[in-house]
Amino acid sequence: MSAVFLVGLSHHSASIAVRERVALEGDELKAALADLHSRQNVQEVMVVSTCNRVEVFVLADSAEPARRFFLDRAPEADGHLYELHASQAVRHLFRVAASLDSMVVGEQQILGQVKEAYGLASSAGTAGSLISRLCNRAFATAKRVRSETDIGRGASSVSQVAVELVEKIFGDLKGRAILLVGAGKMGALSAKALASLGADRVLVTNRSQQRALDLAAQTGGHARDWSELPKLLVEADVVIVSTGAPHFVITPELAHATMKARRHRSACYIDLAVPRNVDPRCANLDNVYAYDMDDLQKVVHATKDARAEEAIRAEAIVEAEVMAFFAEREARAALPVLAALRRRAEEIALAEAQRTLAQLGPKLDERGKKSVEAMARAIVNKLLHGPTARLKEAASSGDSALPGAAAELFGIENEVPGQAEDPADGSAPVVAVSEK
Amino acid sequence: MGARHAPDDLQGEKHALMSVMILRLAALLYAAAAASYVLFFARPRQVRAARAGLWLIAAAFVVHAVSIGFACNEFGGAEFFNLRGGFGMLGWIASGAFLLLQRFYPLPAAGAFVLPLVLIAVLPGFFGLGPDAPAAIPKSVRVPAIGVHVSTALGGVALFAIAFVVALMYLLQEREVKGKRFGALFSRLPSLASLDQLNQRLVRVGFAVYSVALVTGAVVAKNAWGSFWSWDPQQIASLVVWLLYGAMVQLRHVGVHGRRYALLTLAGFALVLTSMIAMGAVPQFTRHGGDFQ
Repeated sequence: MSAVFLVGLSHHSASIAVRERVALEGDELKAALADLHSRQNVQEVMVVSTCNRVEVFVLADSAEPARRFFLDRAPEADGHLYELHASQAVRHLFRVAASLDSMVVGEQQILGQVKEAYGLASSAGTAGSLISRLCNRAFATAKRVRSETDIGRGASSVSQVAVELVEKIFGDLKGRAILLVGAGKMGALSAKALASLGADRVLVTNRSQQRALDLAAQTGGHARDWSELPKLLVEADVVIVSTGAPHFVITPELAHATMKARRHRSACYIDLAVPRNVDPRCANLDNVYAYDMDDLQKVVHATKDARAEEAIRAEAIVEAEVMAFFAEREARAALPVLAALRRRAEEIALAEAQRTLAQLGPKLDERGKKSVEAMARAIVNKLLHGPTARLKEAASSGDSALPGAAAELFGIENEVPGQAEDPADGSAPVVAVSEK
Repeated sequence: MGARHAPDDLQGEKHALMSVMILRLAALLYAAAAASYVLFFARPRQVRAARAGLWLIAAAFVVHAVSIGFACNEFGGAEFFNLRGGFGMLGWIASGAFLLLQRFYPLPAAGAFVLPLVLIAVLPGFFGLGPDAPAAIPKSVRVPAIGVHVSTALGGVALFAIAFVVALMYLLQEREVKGKRFGALFSRLPSLASLDQLNQRLVRVGFAVYSVALVTGAVVAKNAWGSFWSWDPQQIASLVVWLLYGAMVQLRHVGVHGRRYALLTLAGFALVLTSMIAMGAVPQFTRHGGDFQ
């Protein structure tokens, strides 16, 4: 019997040291897909590989091939692997796609990464109809979660908060300048994120000229001399400060003079240094917006809390979608019973009609023959109308007992091709088709 | 005499009822629009509420226009010279300006601020004409300039009213952004820079329109009172308002931005409102709109 298995490791179960040993991309990933697909009894394969997780989905007899895949690559992965089966595996995929299993819950990248994994598997020919339907449902689930909950709302990192604040103050940054003061790592990250708002210029200054040049190259900005700082402040609308200085670099006096020279056009100071580099009193000036690391962190925490609340609603959506996925499968499972039933009945009816026609022989003209056949068909249709409707209803409401009973009652069990087990769920109806 | 007058009065009452009844319908539509915009503000996911609000205000605008048409027929435009009618007209023009704004600068969140104000402006008319029912307009003011004067004066004030709302939105949001309390407004309003710019544009256009009102007003005054300028309180108040907004247009060039500009906009509109209410509420204080002889 084959079923869906998932073997994987993620940021929940393994450190980055283990994850990077098993992570793979590009041609390596394609080769791995082909290799897995060629193993015995593996019908379908998909591999999701991101920096936070490596997960192998297989439609196979057991989880062993997927397990081997990890152990071959890194024996130390052994203790970090999780193994899920049938509905658990389906639920896991839905949760991953909806970003409920992410390190930063609600982040948007993961859906694209799952889509990419599916695209790769289907172009490599290792994703069959089960994985296709599974993935499409997962994408639909993710879309529902995103539109029906606020899980993606708010900023989830310090640089994202900085971007949101600047956006709130200035709209976009067209025609405006960003100034990066100091060589702190967070500063460079935030400057890069802010530059994506369309800033005209990124200016970089640092006490050590060499570091300024490095940073300028890194952020695509222009290095300026430290002594120019007061002039640069006048020029820049957004100032990111992250020096190692233990004192205030931007004092209220400096900010006051700057604002005067700027004709009081709004300025935003983002202080990422600890200890702080921007005197908090600067915020008392008109049109000056000043934020320190604490302020930004507070927003990140608030976002996290809000998302945790939204995640509860998202989980309910995932649960509903998992159930819908299996209900749909069962509805599909009932269809072969119906088809077989109808085929059997029509065969009998037409055979009897032929026999009758043969006996009547030349007494009937062409029109009479057609009438007899039509009558035979009509009897079948009338007779099967009720059972058909009831079977369809039972199937769509997830009732798997009735299709099974019908198959047994009419003795068509053996005529249904393929296995009698549902690949995705061990408890599927007695009569089911393979994924072929 | 009394017996002969009675049918006339009855007739007048019936006519009055017509425009007032249509106005009541318009007021209900304004109230519904305000409710949908407030709902949209409370639940930004309800995009349909904003769309419904837009349709409702468009309907209210049309119905209100019909009511104004009936009123013109009934009183020959005289009812706009009292406080109630003036405010009703102001509400109508403000909602028209809001519709126009939505066309060029979609800002549905502003509806939650503008519509309640429109509703307040229209509300006095909801209760009928009251004791200060208008008399006919004397011939001396029936010059061609009067139409331009009334519509530009109200149009200018309506633009100042919307600028007032935008400035209010700016200040409320600025308090949140500066105070690092990122509450309800943060996610619902556009950036401070665009609110500031919108405010500036509204003030500029409003000032231009108001200038036309001032000039045509002088022309009407010449006809009615015999001179362009006669130190009437209304004239003085209008001039002060004009100077204030003119100063704001100029101050922009010397670097008054953001918060200060928004505060000035609030002050300007407060002055407009006070003068409007004072002129209308104190009898015989000004000859404008009342005794033209």
